[in-house]
Amino acid sequence: MSIRSALLSAVAGAALVGASGLAAAQDRTFIFASVSTPVGFDTDRWLSGTLESAVNVYEGLTKHGVKKDASGRDVIDADKVEPHMAESWTQTEGGKVVTYRIKKGVKSHFGNELTAHDVVNSWDMARDRKLVGNFMITVGRVAKVEAVSDSEVKFTLGTGNNIFPRILTTIFPALIDSKIQKENATADDKWATKWQEKATAGFGPYHLESVKAGEGATFIANRNYFADKPYYSRVVYREVPSPATRAALVKSAQIHYADQMPIQQLVDLIKDRNVKVDSVPGTGAATLRMNPNLKPFDDIRVRKAVQLAFDYEAAGEAVFRGLGERSWSILAPAHGEAYIESQKVNTDLAAARKLLSEAGHANGIDIQLEYTDNWWWEESLAIQAKDALAKAGIRVDLKRIPRTEMNSRRAIGKRDLPFFPHLANAFVLAPAYAFYLSAHTQGSSNVNDYKSPEFDRIVDEMIGETNPARANQLSHEAQRIHANDSTFVISHFPKTYAVTVPCITGWLWYPHDRLVWKHLSCTERRG
Amino acid sequence: MTLRQFLLRRVLLVIPILFGITFITFMLVRVGDRDPVAMLAGPLADRQTLATLRTEMGLDRSFWEQFAIYVGKLIQLDFGKSWESNNPVIVDIANRLPASLELLLIAMLIGAAVGIPVGLRSAQRPNGAFDQAARFVSLLGFSVPTYWFALMGIFIFFFKLGWAPPPMGRIGLDAIPPPDVTGSYFIDSLLVADWSAVHSSGTRLVLPVLIFSVIVAAPIIKHTRAIALEVLSSDYIRYARASGLSPFTVRRIALRNAFTPVLTFVASELTGLLAAVSLLEFIFAWGGMGQWGLNAILNSDFAAVQGYVLTLALFSAVIYVMVDIAVLMLEPRSALKA
Repeated sequence: MSIRSALLSAVAGAALVGASGLAAAQDRTFIFASVSTPVGFDTDRWLSGTLESAVNVYEGLTKHGVKKDASGRDVIDADKVEPHMAESWTQTEGGKVVTYRIKKGVKSHFGNELTAHDVVNSWDMARDRKLVGNFMITVGRVAKVEAVSDSEVKFTLGTGNNIFPRILTTIFPALIDSKIQKENATADDKWATKWQEKATAGFGPYHLESVKAGEGATFIANRNYFADKPYYSRVVYREVPSPATRAALVKSAQIHYADQMPIQQLVDLIKDRNVKVDSVPGTGAATLRMNPNLKPFDDIRVRKAVQLAFDYEAAGEAVFRGLGERSWSILAPAHGEAYIESQKVNTDLAAARKLLSEAGHANGIDIQLEYTDNWWWEESLAIQAKDALAKAGIRVDLKRIPRTEMNSRRAIGKRDLPFFPHLANAFVLAPAYAFYLSAHTQGSSNVNDYKSPEFDRIVDEMIGETNPARANQLSHEAQRIHANDSTFVISHFPKTYAVTVPCITGWLWYPHDRLVWKHLSCTERRG
Repeated sequence: MTLRQFLLRRVLLVIPILFGITFITFMLVRVGDRDPVAMLAGPLADRQTLATLRTEMGLDRSFWEQFAIYVGKLIQLDFGKSWESNNPVIVDIANRLPASLELLLIAMLIGAAVGIPVGLRSAQRPNGAFDQAARFVSLLGFSVPTYWFALMGIFIFFFKLGWAPPPMGRIGLDAIPPPDVTGSYFIDSLLVADWSAVHSSGTRLVLPVLIFSVIVAAPIIKHTRAIALEVLSSDYIRYARASGLSPFTVRRIALRNAFTPVLTFVASELTGLLAAVSLLEFIFAWGGMGQWGLNAILNSDFAAVQGYVLTLALFSAVIYVMVDIAVLMLEPRSALKA
């Protein structure tokens, strides 16, 4: 059965069971195949499929602007924050108090209008649960959130800062229809987290209709969505764990989108005329991280030697199959003028050997590289590193560890991994946030425990800096300091890929790296 | 030994085996520094949240304390709670097991229905054309990895020929799943006479079942042939032939004597196949217990992994007890003596 016949059948089925409130003539189904069925929809608890779904159910008070890149494609404008569910905002007390006025007519699928009380409720929940939303409270320096009226919500910040407005473009914390949430709360579960495992109540473009473990979920368009109605009124989210099967399905037009395709499949799919593969570098680069507090990486000469011995060209070819893009800084070029090429390191075996010798390792050195399978490139990058570093006398012992062990050893309070691969993806498109996340002493992705008081001071200053020119200057300085301390081997941006049938247009990359369905449409008829 | 004593002894033997498996699994999932808290709390959680969650999940207790609590709950049939789905593990297993059994049992029936006669026939004329062909098929089933077989099946029958429906689960997007009775979409659709769902779920069963049947039939052919050859070359068969009994009667005697070891082998194979079906489920997005178990292992979902392994062990134990009963019914004297 092709997508077309599936759609016709799906429309007929939906009409029969009364599943959709939209007119049949507008019914269009988008079939999305991913690794796993969404296990929950609570944005504070990231499980399989949570974010893939939640970014389509919840939206922020503001959004990033969209601009054209050099190739004429729509891209997110990192510097521009525009009204979305909020129609306007005012700042007082030097940016420490920001009051947002909520648009009229922003409603959930249940028909409840978004009010300031919903916003306060969501932020209270984040503060109380101390998970992802609470990290945003900390980094955005949010001291208090109050409802001034039904349509006005006031944020009081510890210091005025440029991260906070961008946090409001994200879904952390998610703006939930508090009326529905309260109906589903219990004495033991005041935030209705149990209910959020199987249900959604957002003000965004889609609403969860049904979910079946091991099979998939169905989303329907929010019948009260305040902005333009999405092209696809129904999204079937199907669990197809095997990438080879997902590839066969998208090639044969049985699905519209194949999520999380590994590089081996991508190389083939790019050549296939029945498939469209689009990509952007994103904000996360594949890195090998060295913990400067642990031997032998407490010696900067050893760290620099590792950086110089790594074969970047070979990694680009063998690991990223020529599809990756070389990264030159802790920051991504997506951050615009805040970005500089601060870590222009290329392979230089002689220099690496010289540094090792100066560090007292004239006969070479033994190190261990621990890796897991959080990202598809980890194992091949580790193997590539072993091979390349051996040429400079750095003998690498590879050790594959379970994913949970890696995650727990990277967690705050532990961080005992000396040398390991990592990728940090900044969901908030602000340079200060990216620095804070990856390398600030308090950063949750500072997994190699980098400690630099000077770097922290600059990042703290950046967070409070509202003058763009000064913020960029600080950003350049932060990148230079981090590059000089040499704790990252920065390889390539593995990139984010959109694998679709050829008719799909409108893919727009977001910092959260998940597909946003509302922009998609099909511009040609397929048989 | 009476029949009752025999059965009681078999059932009692299962208890220490299950206890041993429980202990080993409990220990293995905790080897190294595995800690699901970091995954559960998300990458942005602070130190205090991680510590609170660890306490809530009982992971701050000693290994033995955790094990004692786990066994105490197991006795009350509480397999624990999956941290990923937040459901009791027993509920997740109950939801997923029927899908696996649907695939496994149908493939097993077909595999045995084909494998046993082919093995017997092969043994009648060793090295004949039929035997050579059967041995080739058997070798193929043995040597080709399940996932490769499945991927090739999809490539040929779905992608190239278009005969098979898309490998996207147990029922098509155009069909409404039937009300849950047995958990098998095919059987449940039949029960409510929903012919559209019968067609949709039935056609989706064909390719994975056929592929799995080949995997199942291969060792059955090989072992049945070997057992039959042994029986056919035995003294009592030679005596029967020398006595002038008809070939049909000789075959009947041989079959009756070969049946018990063949049955024992098929049953023992069944126990291993519940775990083996996971790869097929993964490739066909079947949504069964194997796929769920694989996912639990990858995510270090302790309770789910323990529940999965224990279910496999229980399944094996039940099958072995049933085989013992069957053997007892077929050969009461020898079984009780053993």
